[in-house]
Order: sequence, then C-alpha cells, then structure tokens
Amino acid sequence: MKKLMVLLLLSCITLPAWADSIGYTVRNTEIKAKPFSDAATLATLPEKASVTIVQRMGGWVRISSSTGNGWVKMLNLRSSSARTGDSGLQSLFNVGRTGSSGITVATGVRGLSSEDVQNASPNPVEFAKLKNYAVNQNQASQFAQSGKLKSYAVEFVAAQ
Amino acid sequence: MAHYKILIIAASLTLSGCAGMDAQQLMQLGSNMAGKVVAANKPVSEAEEIQIGHGIASNLLGAAPLSTNQRAQSYVNNVGRWVSLHTERPNLPWQFGVLESADLNAFATPGGTIFITKGLLQHLKTESELAGVLAHEMVHVLSKHHLAALQKAANLNIAGDFAGQALNTQNNPLLDKALQAGKEVYARGLDKDDEFEADRKGIVIATRSGYDPFGLPAVLQMLDSANAQDSSLALMFKTHPAPAARLSLLDKIMANNFDGYASPTQTDARFNAAVATLK
Ligand SMILES: [Zn+2]
Repeated sequence: MKKLMVLLLLSCITLPAWADSIGYTVRNTEIKAKPFSDAATLATLPEKASVTIVQRMGGWVRISSSTGNGWVKMLNLRSSSARTGDSGLQSLFNVGRTGSSGITVATGVRGLSSEDVQNASPNPVEFAKLKNYAVNQNQASQFAQSGKLKSYAVEFVAAQ
Repeated sequence: MAHYKILIIAASLTLSGCAGMDAQQLMQLGSNMAGKVVAANKPVSEAEEIQIGHGIASNLLGAAPLSTNQRAQSYVNNVGRWVSLHTERPNLPWQFGVLESADLNAFATPGGTIFITKGLLQHLKTESELAGVLAHEMVHVLSKHHLAALQKAANLNIAGDFAGQALNTQNNPLLDKALQAGKEVYARGLDKDDEFEADRKGIVIATRSGYDPFGLPAVLQMLDSANAQDSSLALMFKTHPAPAARLSLLDKIMANNFDGYASPTQTDARFNAAVATLK
C-alpha cells in the first residue's frame, strides 16, 4: 500500500499539466490550430461542451473533443461541474486521505484544519527559523537573472 | 474626568458583550483608549503591523511546523522575494515558509510573512503558478486585509489602541487580544471581495515579475477540478470563494490584456528540482 502510494504521488508530480482532466465550455469557443488568437479556427464548440484537456500554454489549453482537437482559451473552460467520475487528479487527491473516498489517512500525513488554526499555540522556535531561509533583494534579483526573468511595467486592472 | 470616561468605556464594553477579558484587561484597555483619543485616526505603524503579523505567523507555525527541506524553503523565498520587488512595498521584511502539511493552502500575515503548504506546492506545475499563489497572498499584506479583519473581529481600534505601545512586551493584553482575533480570522477567512482583489492584483504583480500571467488561473483550474469534499481542501474551500467564481472574475478582467506576455522558459528545471525533493 505504501509503495503504491509513493508511485501514485510520483506520477502525480510528473504528470503533464492538465493530463486527462475534463473541462466544459462556458461560452461558444473557437478551436484554434495554434495557441494564438489570430491562428486558424478549426471548429467552434458550443457552450457546455465537454473537452479533454491535454496541455496548457499560457492562457491556452490544448484539448481533444468530439467536435475537434486544437487550442482553446483556458478561461473559456471550467472543471467543477464537468466531473462525472474520478478524473486522474481527483482520484490522486483521494489517495491516502480521509474524506469522501473513505481511504484511511496515511500515518504522518498532516492536515491543517480550522480547528488546528484556532487551537494553535505560538511556536517561536519554528518562527525563528524563517529568517534563516529569507533572502535579500540582491539574492532575489540574481535568482531572477538566472531564470532569465524580466520585469515589466503593468498597471492594475480595475475591478469589473 | 479621565477616569470617569474610562469607566463609561469599560461599562459600555461590558454591556456590548466584550467576551474573554477580565476586569484588569478591561481597565487596561480603557486607560489605553482614553490616552489615545488623539491618535484614533493615526494609521497602524509598520512596526505594529509587523509585530502583529509575527505573532500570527508564530501561531500558524503552532498549527503546522516548517518543512525541514531547506532547498524548497530557499527556492520559495527566492521566488517570493523577487515577486515582492514588484509591489508597492518592496522594503517590507518579506519572508516565506513551506508548511509541513498535506493540506492545500497558503496564508499571508501582516507585515510580509507568507506561507504555502507542502501539499499545495506539490500540486503546482510551474514557477509561474507558485509566483501567482505568492502574489495573491502578497496583496493581502499590501492591502492590509487581515489587519482590518482582526480589528473588526476584536472590536479594537488598532491604530488608536496600539499607537505608541511597546507591542513587544510580554503579556500585552492588547496584542493577545489581536492575536486571539487573528486565529478566528484565519479559521474563518476574509471577505470574498478581499479574495477577489488578491486575485485581480496578484496576476498583475506576477506578470510584472516576468511570470506567465495565467499561472494563478491555472492553479484555480487545478483546484476547480479537484474533489471539493477532500479533507485536504477543507480549510481552503471554507475560507475562499469557489474556484469557479474566482476564475469567472479573472476571465472578465483578463480578456485579451495579458496575451502579450510569454511564459518564462528557463525556470522549469529549478522548479521541478526543488519540488521533487519534497517528500
Ligand atoms: Zn487569499
């Protein structure tokens, strides 16, 4: 059982984003040949169409569906109401956890419930460790540079 | 005259059901209030904000300790500190911690201490997703959402009551009261408008930092596809609007405004390496 769990957890980490998860469209949605707005439109999905999500790239996800395969805008999709059975992620979520699955929680797996938060006593020893892990602005900038991250000027968007 | 006022304040507090305070604390509160009338509109100082936040952070660490994985801890600190440089408060003492918990959650405390659980970190796919989560939490700090909420919960005028107090003294009843209120606030959650604001501004802060603007929406999609009944999501779902509602808001405000930003290409290896070391 423990081995199985480890395997499942590992597979969870190495799964490609959105592997085999199911989504549905919240509006008419064009399926594009490439993840760009001006790419060729291959077909149009109606609202509430079910799709299988294969991969994400920026604001786009690659899908397969009975209407066709290609790229659609990620925010045209939701997942919650689309669930009919165990999606890959969902069943992985249930492994080793108490809850709807009824599977016994693995020993040593620690939750963080609202009761835990309310009944907590201060832990100054742990708190003191935080500053050992903290980094300064220079270190953070070097880290960004090594990841080839660039800064952009972007204004906040007004609430709608 | 001053004492007369204190008694009236004390009496009205008692009448309005000010629970959990003994007479001595009440008198202390009363004398503080009387002394701070002038300061009532003074904003909470940054030092006070940080002090309260440290108390709350210590309490959260009492609920779940830090992961002992130093690599993951410094990785999250690097990402978070870089993102923090793109906020309007880059000089706060920002620090980040990975909590040893299988739950999926993240917490911000006043003054810039931010936590993410190991469980959530392990369910993220990219550094951009992590940046999105941390940027969301940073907005709670920037907008002082928790400070306002615990002030309301404790029925305290933090600015007035705390002004000029040495908060670092032991057995400070006002600080105790604020921290007790803090526990309630973290168990119950913020107003949903605070959460929407954190999403709305969080995507912009992550984008400024060079990350994929769709990192946070991708995390919300992951949460939306998860089983809402799972116990590892209980506190997160209790304290936040449903992921689908948060996605709908981002859907409206993002429109085509964020299509021009490419995803970083050089961060996947270090993300995978840091997260893979978490057991
Ligand atoms: Zn939040």
